[in-house]
Amino acid sequence: MVRIIMRKLTILCLVLSLSVTTVACGGGNQTTTTSNSVSSTSVTPKRLSDGQYPVQQASYNDADGEYTLFLIGSQPPTFATDKLQMARLTDEEIKDGKKSYLKVENGEPALYLTEDFKIEYVHNVTEVQTNPQNGQQETVVVRRESNFWTPFAASLAGNLAGQVIGNALFRPQYYVPPVYQSGGIMRGYGGYGSTYDSAVSSYRSRYNQPPAAVRNRTAFRSTGTIKNSTSTTNRTPSSTRGTNTGGRATGSGVSGSTLQNSGNSSSTNRRNSNSGFGSGSRSSGSRRSSGSGGRRR
Amino acid sequence: MSLFNKMMGKTRYVVCRLFLHLSGSEVAPILGVLNRAAREAVDAEGDIEVMGEGLVEICETLLRYDEYWLSASNEGDVFWNEGEAGDYFNEIFTDSASRYGAELDFDQQEPLSLPATRNVVVMLTVAYEGEVPELETDLSNIPALTEGLKALINLQQKNKIRAIQEHFSPAQYGDELTNDQLLQYFPELIPL
Repeated sequence: MVRIIMRKLTILCLVLSLSVTTVACGGGNQTTTTSNSVSSTSVTPKRLSDGQYPVQQASYNDADGEYTLFLIGSQPPTFATDKLQMARLTDEEIKDGKKSYLKVENGEPALYLTEDFKIEYVHNVTEVQTNPQNGQQETVVVRRESNFWTPFAASLAGNLAGQVIGNALFRPQYYVPPVYQSGGIMRGYGGYGSTYDSAVSSYRSRYNQPPAAVRNRTAFRSTGTIKNSTSTTNRTPSSTRGTNTGGRATGSGVSGSTLQNSGNSSSTNRRNSNSGFGSGSRSSGSRRSSGSGGRRR
Repeated sequence: MSLFNKMMGKTRYVVCRLFLHLSGSEVAPILGVLNRAAREAVDAEGDIEVMGEGLVEICETLLRYDEYWLSASNEGDVFWNEGEAGDYFNEIFTDSASRYGAELDFDQQEPLSLPATRNVVVMLTVAYEGEVPELETDLSNIPALTEGLKALINLQQKNKIRAIQEHFSPAQYGDELTNDQLLQYFPELIPL
C-alpha cells in the first residue's frame, strides 16, 4: 500500500517537475520574440480560415512580392500573403457565371481567376545610393509606379511573356509576374512552377536575372575600393604606407542579404551567447557585449 | 533551449565568419578571383544566386592555394529569430569593413615599383538556415578549415544560404598589406 502511494507520489512529482521545466523553457523563449514585431506593422492578417471568398480586387507589390487581396465576406476584408498560388477558372465555370475567388485549403491560399482579371501591379523603382551615415552603398526605393497585370490574358498578343500549356493552367501554381512595363497592360507571366522557388528559377533561366521581388528583397552593400571603381579597372597602384587610410591597407567588401533586420536601431542586445562558436581567441569585449546586454530571462 | 526551439519547428539561423590569411609570393592571383567575384556581386546588386556562385569559386581557389595558408580564425552564432541574425550579419559587415581603408587617396603613386603583396586576408561571412557542424566549430586548424570551405561550397548547392559577404585586403595587385597591419587590424588570427 505504502509502495503504491510512493509510486503515485513519484509520478506526480515527475509530472510536476516536467511541466515546470517546459513552462520555464517556453518563458525564456518568449522574451526574444518581442523585438521583431517592429518590422511588420501592418494589421492585415496573413492567415485565413479555410473556405472560398469572392475577390473584389488584388494588388501585387514588387518590393517584397506580397499580394494584397480585398475579399468579400471575410473579416477584415483584406488579406496579404507573399506565397500565393494562382489558377485560371475553367471555361465551364466562367460560363456558369463564376467570378474570381480565393480558395483557402489547409491554410494554403489559391486564387482562381477569370482570364481578364486585372491585378494591380505596384512597381518600386530602386537605386543604389551611398548612405551618408556610413559611406556604404545600399539599395533604396526612389519612387513608385503602378500598372495592371493579367496573368491569364486571353488575347495572345505578341508581348505575352509566357503561356502555360493545357491543363496546368487550371491547376494552382506559383507565378512570377513578367518584367515590369509602364505602358499597356502586362500579360502572362515571367515564370511559374509548383513551388515559389521553382517559379523564381524558371524566371531566372528566362531573363537571366532574378525577379523584381527577389531583387528588391536583397539588401546590397559594398565598401572599400570596389565601391568607387566604376569601369576604371586600370589605375596606378597606390602605396599605402602613408597614413591616408589611418594606417590601414586597401580592401574591398560586398554583401548581399535576404535576411530581415529586427528594426532595432540600437546596438543589438545579443541574447546569451552560449550558442556562439569559433576559434574564440578574440577578446570578446570589443563588439560582443555592446551596452547592457546581459542574460535576459 | 535549442532543443525546445527545434521541437517547436522554428527556423534555425546561423551566421558565421571566417578569416583566412595567406602568405607567400604567389598569392596575388587570388586577388584576381576575389575582385572578379566582387565585381559580379556589384553588377548583380548583391543577388544571392550570383554571389553564391562567386563564393564557390573563392572557396575552390582558397582550397587550391592551401600551401600558402598561414593563419586563420572564425566566429559565429546561432539564432532562432531572423531579425537578430540579420542584425548580427550587418554588424559583422561593419566590423569587417573597418579593418581596411575605405577611403583611398591617390596622392602617393609609385608607378615603377610593384611590391607584389605577400599577404592576403579573406573574410567570408554567410548566413544560412539549418545546421552545418563543419562550420559551427573551431576552424583554426588546417583539416577543419578544409572541411569548412568544402561545407560552404555544398551549402550553396543546397540553396540554404540567405546572405553572403566577402571582404578582402589588400584590394588589388600592387597594393600591400604589411605584417604590422595584419597584427594591428586582424588580432584574432591564429597561426595554422
